[in-house]
Amino acid sequence: MLSALQNPRQAAAQVLNFVLILSTAFMMWKGLSVLADSPSPIVVVLSGSMEPAFQRGDLLFLWGRNIFEETKVGEIVVYNVKGKDIPIVHRVVRKFGVGDEAKLLTKGDNNLADDTELYARGQDYLERKDIVGSVVAYIPFVGYVTIMLSEHPWLKTVMLGIMGLVVVLQRE
Amino acid sequence: MHSTVVRAQNVFGFFTTVAFAVAALIAFTDLITPRTPKANISMSKVEVVRGRPNYYSTKKEEYAVLRFNLNADFSSLMNWNTKQLFVYVSASWPNSTSSEHTNEAVIWDTIITSPSADHLQNIGPAAMKKLKKSAEGKTIDPSRGKINLKNQKAKYQITAPGGRLAEKNDVVLKVHYNIQPWVGVLTWTPQIEFGKWKMMKGGVSKLFNFPALKVKKAADTTSR
Repeated sequence: MLSALQNPRQAAAQVLNFVLILSTAFMMWKGLSVLADSPSPIVVVLSGSMEPAFQRGDLLFLWGRNIFEETKVGEIVVYNVKGKDIPIVHRVVRKFGVGDEAKLLTKGDNNLADDTELYARGQDYLERKDIVGSVVAYIPFVGYVTIMLSEHPWLKTVMLGIMGLVVVLQRE
Repeated sequence: MHSTVVRAQNVFGFFTTVAFAVAALIAFTDLITPRTPKANISMSKVEVVRGRPNYYSTKKEEYAVLRFNLNADFSSLMNWNTKQLFVYVSASWPNSTSSEHTNEAVIWDTIITSPSADHLQNIGPAAMKKLKKSAEGKTIDPSRGKINLKNQKAKYQITAPGGRLAEKNDVVLKVHYNIQPWVGVLTWTPQIEFGKWKMMKGGVSKLFNFPALKVKKAADTTSR
């Protein structure tokens, strides 16, 4: 600690190093976002409505490009309800029409009823623009740490603190 | 402090590298496992009735109530990386303006878990006990991939936006599947042959028509 203070040049280099790591992670995320054409290409499952396929904390990779065919019945999609900011992972069970105006209805595998009740008032169906992406790949459990962080906010502060300290104090 | 942190970092880094490498290998084995799904589906009964979307609604819509026969062999899809097999039957029909089957709705589905994923199912204790017992000592149970349904009632009564469904022509039932892996890529019924993954044999019913609206019996019409 003291040595870092005594040598401002080294301290500056270390701060720069920390910023570099952060910006690299940010750019990788944004790059993946562009590649998958999805505002959030990796999501963590937050509810049990798709059990037994997905549990809380599982990591999903999304793909938002319809290169070969449109989003169709049976696909598992992540969508945002109008006016709400919580993404929901459910399966498309009905599709009426084609193109961007096609009407889509979703349902969670573990739910008895379809999602009509979850949608905004006056919204009976989803459209393609409501969909963030379709699930293409799956890694179990890895995302659980983000659930921990959002449920216990103090962990965030602790983790950021430790990360900052380690990067700044590391010599090489 | 320096060396302890570095060691912990190295151990954790090595652990994640190994874990991801093993996961990638497991996911890769899916590609070299042959898949030869077969299915045979036919419509056995169809009628169109008027009903309400829910108890409190005053809106009347036309609903297609279907029964079907399904004989499928998906046992080749149950391998060690299969967490669940989701099988679903959909009905599709064209719009009045085109012959393309632009409308599709799931009428029936089922979740087939691998024995190692049984504990994740959301079913009652009695059903869970029976399910676990059906594959005792096995981690993979290909026999679960065999489906034989006769005159099965549809789980979901379908309607269309606008509520008109009667007398639609050229309706077809299709069987689809979705494999949920323990780790890796999710796969659906393939549209093209891909390496060792064969296309599904059959799985499409003959074309049929939704009949005219079923006239209710006199007793039913007294209610509003």
